[in-house]
Amino acid sequence: MSDQPAASSVRYEETTKVYPGSAEPAVDHLSLEVPAGEICVLVGPSGCGKTTAMRMVNRTVEITSGDVLIGDSSVRDREPAQLRREIGYVIQQIGLFPHRTISENIGAVPQLLGWKKERTRERAAELLELIGLDPELGDRYPAQLSGGQQQRVGVARALAADPLVMLMDEPFGAIDPINRERLQNEFLRLQAEIRKTVLFVTHDIDEAIKMGDRIAVMREGGRVEQYATPAELLMAPANEFVEDFVGADRALKRLALMRVRDINLWEAPLAHVGQATAEVRAKLASPDVEVPYPLLVDSERRPLGWLSERDLAAETVPQRPDSPLGPVLELDDVMRDALADLLQGEAQYAPVVDHRRRIVGVLSVEIISEFLKSPEAKSDEHPAVERPHE
Amino acid sequence: MTDLLPLASFGGAIEFIFSEQTSNVTGGKKVGGFEQAVELTLKQLEVTVLALALALVIALPLGLYLGHKGKGEFILVGLANGGRAIPELAVIALVAALIGVGLVTVTPALAILGIPPILTNAFVGVRQVDRATVDAARGMGMSEMEIIRKVELPLAVPTVMGGIRGATIAIVATATIAPLAGVVTLGDYIINASIYGDNGRLAGAILVALLALTLEGLLALLQRRLTSDGLKVKTA
Amino acid sequence: MNSPFPLAAAGEVGGDFFKERTSDTLPCQAKPNEPFCFDWAKENIDRFGTPTVQHLELVLISLVIGFAVAFALALFAHRRKWLQPPLLGATGVLYTIPSIAFFFLLLPVTGIGKDTAIIALAAYTLQIIYRNTMLGLDNVPSSAKEAARGMGYTDRQILWRVELPLATPEIIAGLRIAVVSTIAIATLAVFIGGGGLGTQIYGGGNLTFPTSIFIALGIVLLMALLFDLVLLTVQRLTTPWRKTRPT
Repeated sequence: MSDQPAASSVRYEETTKVYPGSAEPAVDHLSLEVPAGEICVLVGPSGCGKTTAMRMVNRTVEITSGDVLIGDSSVRDREPAQLRREIGYVIQQIGLFPHRTISENIGAVPQLLGWKKERTRERAAELLELIGLDPELGDRYPAQLSGGQQQRVGVARALAADPLVMLMDEPFGAIDPINRERLQNEFLRLQAEIRKTVLFVTHDIDEAIKMGDRIAVMREGGRVEQYATPAELLMAPANEFVEDFVGADRALKRLALMRVRDINLWEAPLAHVGQATAEVRAKLASPDVEVPYPLLVDSERRPLGWLSERDLAAETVPQRPDSPLGPVLELDDVMRDALADLLQGEAQYAPVVDHRRRIVGVLSVEIISEFLKSPEAKSDEHPAVERPHE
Repeated sequence: MTDLLPLASFGGAIEFIFSEQTSNVTGGKKVGGFEQAVELTLKQLEVTVLALALALVIALPLGLYLGHKGKGEFILVGLANGGRAIPELAVIALVAALIGVGLVTVTPALAILGIPPILTNAFVGVRQVDRATVDAARGMGMSEMEIIRKVELPLAVPTVMGGIRGATIAIVATATIAPLAGVVTLGDYIINASIYGDNGRLAGAILVALLALTLEGLLALLQRRLTSDGLKVKTA
Repeated sequence: MNSPFPLAAAGEVGGDFFKERTSDTLPCQAKPNEPFCFDWAKENIDRFGTPTVQHLELVLISLVIGFAVAFALALFAHRRKWLQPPLLGATGVLYTIPSIAFFFLLLPVTGIGKDTAIIALAAYTLQIIYRNTMLGLDNVPSSAKEAARGMGYTDRQILWRVELPLATPEIIAGLRIAVVSTIAIATLAVFIGGGGLGTQIYGGGNLTFPTSIFIALGIVLLMALLFDLVLLTVQRLTTPWRKTRPT
């Protein structure tokens, strides 16, 4: 990973956009500051001006009055084409060049900036790795990639010239929900490493809460009804509009702000293949056992399955447990997704593992609901998701 | 390169069309004049219309049917390319030399030149109708014939008419050299300039051009009339 | 023979054509009805050399001029929507006028010879090349253009690095059609003194004879086929991304 140049802040100063022939401004005197290195999500209903506002930063929409500053310099002082080469730009339909290979697509802006071919090629390979794609895909054409892969290439392409600011317009909107979740998680992981200043537009409040360090809830005219951290938004919506937009299920939404590691997990008695079942039964009988089912693990403490009464009837623990494993959760999983997996898998308990798949504890729906009721959850301070702050 | 003012030539040509003159080439015979112009024009129209009708009768139903079924694409593409490659002069010459002269032999030859564009465009026109629309029609209970008539054909009109216009252009062009095979059309003015003189030759060129443009214009109007309004709407 | 024309029957139009011909005593090549005389073909094949070269010259020069003009027009009209219908109409007129008539419309200005033929042949190709170029440009996915603009490509860079490469298949398709048509129509150049293979079909004011006609026809078709295949190969080579399927 190279040394990170400081990402720049983005500041809107009374930024206004009026389209000719229109009575009302599309964006009306927007003033907002996005600190460097943070993801600011612009969210709101269709037509509220969020995309227009974002596009005024790289002047794909021209500013009518007011200004947008990147760092200390106004975007109006630059030639549009020059300006745009320093800003990463990701759009919903991705827009990869069909006639160029993946590597060439990623290297598009470096090429515009006049980088040497060798350096461009290296950078493309580096980014392919960063976004988690096989470097061999660099020589393929976009038509040969899946939608999710293409979207990742779109992000890599935006990062290629190491921009100070990234603009993302519903970047994951065209992807199926399963891949969308993966892409969101991967982008957050990436952002933890590279810490760009990101302006992210979406109409999906859940995505906003998941992705944003700060969220600007907008209504028509680009008017910001509330500009706050996700936690503040959920716990103290500024007015009825924000409250309606955030949705009635705020408590559940807060689960999106937590990870599995933030909660105290329960322990299940562990059993190994070939172990005497008497030992296991003894563990089960212990008074402070939290989970009444033994979990079969291998020599590395990786879960293999749950043991049933029938399994324990034998002399030694069998190799194949009666009950399948069900959903397996990771410490880094967002709590709301973990809850969804639990409910989906109709599992009462789910093993939680670390990044090496070793058992850490067990999560259940009960644990989660107890937590939501606890005084800890109700306070302003609660364990936040690890996201880049200054 | 002649230094004569082109305008003077055009003036002479116009005169040729409208008034009979004494030919300065073939020793005093009368050539030119309105009557003759009309006779040759009508002849060209006659052979064009007959050939076009023949080509339509053969190629249109076949093309629509194949398009509806989706068969024969490969052959038709080859046919379209091949048809374009055939020099009309050779066709006329061979017909004249090997088969015979006159309307009866020339008309089919012209029709053959007109078949590829009509056939291919009918096929493509029907083919490019949205399959979903056809599916919906079938699901609603339309018979195959009804689907062709009420759904595919109206939507295929622009493409099909394009093919017909292309065929017409090819047929009119070939009809111009039909005098070589005994069908004396306006092309005679051009081919046998030895009789008609320079003015006659230019007059022939003007009249042929006007005829072709007029026919094309009429077909364009027809296409506009036949194209349903829904297709003419420009999407925002 | 019976002519439906009063004037023709009176011998006043139609030139020499309706004069009588008998064929029984003539050697095979001179018989008007003999389909193909192999002996003559073998002996006289070289006389097709020069006409073929002339034909090629006519075709190539016309195409270069036609393509250059049509392509330039398309680029000019690309961002000026108001120009497009008139240009389509103007090139359409040039396409509709039968080439042989076009030769003689040009005659007062450009005279006899291959220059006139070339101008007329080039004019004929304008519509197909112009239209296909416009079509190719219109079919470029707008998401690619939008992304390019947002990434910092100038308008000119978008045209040359994104739009035109992606429009290439359509452009070459138009070129193929233009080439094949021009090769066929160039046979008419004989009427304006432009040479070419038409001279072997209609020479000196008369149709020649079947064997000669067939050979000329064969050469024309062969030429068309070759050019078509070459362009097809060019298209394949310049658009490597089209062969690919999702893996």
